[in-house]
Amino acid sequence: MCGIAGRILNSAGRVGNDLVELMDAQEHRGADSTGFAVYGIPRDTGYVLRGMGFDKSRLGKDMDEFQEILKAHGSDFSEDPSFVVDDHAHYSARIIINEPKDIARWIHDADQICGNFEVQSCGRSLEIIKDIGGSTAVADKHGVRDMIGTHGLGHARLATESSVLPNASHPFWARPFPDVAIVHNGQITDYYTWRDRLRRKGYRFLTENDSELIAVWVSDQIASGLSPIAALKKSITSIDGVFTFMIADQDGIGFAKDRFAMKPLVVIEENGEMAAATEEQAVRRIYAGESDVINHDGPSLTGIWGVGNRSLAA
Amino acid sequence: MSEVVIEAGKRHIKEINEDIQAACAAGHKVIVRNTLSRHNLGVGLPANANVHFEGSVGYYCGGLNVGATVTVERNAGWAVGEGMRNGHITVGGYAGMSVGAAMISGTIHVKGDSGPRCGVAMKGGNIVVEGRIGYQSGFMAHSGKIIAIGGAGHSCADALWQGEVWVAGPVDSLGVDVKVVEPTAEEVAEVDAILEPLGLVDSSRNWRKMISGQRLWYFESRDASAWLMI
Repeated sequence: MCGIAGRILNSAGRVGNDLVELMDAQEHRGADSTGFAVYGIPRDTGYVLRGMGFDKSRLGKDMDEFQEILKAHGSDFSEDPSFVVDDHAHYSARIIINEPKDIARWIHDADQICGNFEVQSCGRSLEIIKDIGGSTAVADKHGVRDMIGTHGLGHARLATESSVLPNASHPFWARPFPDVAIVHNGQITDYYTWRDRLRRKGYRFLTENDSELIAVWVSDQIASGLSPIAALKKSITSIDGVFTFMIADQDGIGFAKDRFAMKPLVVIEENGEMAAATEEQAVRRIYAGESDVINHDGPSLTGIWGVGNRSLAA
Repeated sequence: MSEVVIEAGKRHIKEINEDIQAACAAGHKVIVRNTLSRHNLGVGLPANANVHFEGSVGYYCGGLNVGATVTVERNAGWAVGEGMRNGHITVGGYAGMSVGAAMISGTIHVKGDSGPRCGVAMKGGNIVVEGRIGYQSGFMAHSGKIIAIGGAGHSCADALWQGEVWVAGPVDSLGVDVKVVEPTAEEVAEVDAILEPLGLVDSSRNWRKMISGQRLWYFESRDASAWLMI
């Protein structure tokens, strides 16, 4: 039992704060870890990275190694990285880089040191913040409430398929596709088989979490020529398990639900803005009045909300 | 019966429910405001209680009811009236998944549609839905009646045990091991007797009564294909 959330604003605003509210209302669904994917104002060039190092005593060494790999790909830090370090062994980093020559080749090489330092998001606007603990603790530690953006995702995790590790938290970045992130409520049963197939195509998975598959699977289908909505529809019959997942990119947020209608999704759309969550009481944190609530309760459902054009394409 | 208004808001659910219980014990009719779709509102209400929730409620509203009359102005989340032993719950709008899950007796009346698995594992009582019942409604219902006036979604009455699913409108598809039977006049009269106090009797309806095909009651190797359909 996890809790997920999505939020779209008409224009850049306090989307971080809204996501924290959505997740705070659903903390009882899982407080092993909490994560946020925030789509900030996109940069024209270069990428913003979020990452995690597993031994804070190695921080300087990790960054040196990381920078060396960047330089080998024609990139570099474009400003000084910032870090969040506390009592835990792991630390978090926010890094702005210049354009690497080839993002997929660079991340392939950067992942050579993923045992020490792991890139957890890369995009023109996407930033993934994840950590162990409940929503308030994670939000306070990483300043999520102050993050400005147009849309984003949230996740509260009750670990079922893999350990409670800071990097096994959601959201997951669809490595190596910039700006693609997912959150998932449920369990995928055939993720080992799918990961094997995708590994043979050159993809890389850094955790033992079943949900990491979904991000890459959907992105690979789209890269192979399917439209986003067709890829979401195909996931329902291709991926085995119970799921309601939301996947976001710079253009919007999509969702898909399994054939058994096991996991709910509640949505309020008002004045062109949208809030989605596992539980209605969470979206009521954003829209306190009596709003028209859409319950996506049925089986095998999909939809996409666009940023800028927020009508639901089912 | 005097009315008492209780504000739900963001207070702890235990505090809200204790206020509701105390007002009910003092013989008041209770109106709960600012419900914010909170979970567990009015769980474990005593017999003879009369509680109205303004707006929408979250999960398990009116669960473990032993005889109270509960009304919800708008929508209810998962499992409204779960495990209720007696009483009457009315939902003015949409009721989410698993309406009346494992209920033993009493009546749940939903004026809108219901979500998937309405009446899952119910052991008695009646659920009346004026709209459509969702996917897989009646799943493993042991006893009791689910009556859907507006129709039913896919996999209707899936893996039913001894419960009955009555549908007047269109049914998207039937679930595993369902037998559709022509109800007798006496049986229709029984259903009308349930609908009568709700003001929903209409003699022109063309009822379909769904019961278990009983192929899943005991495992038979020659029936393995039916089991594999689950």
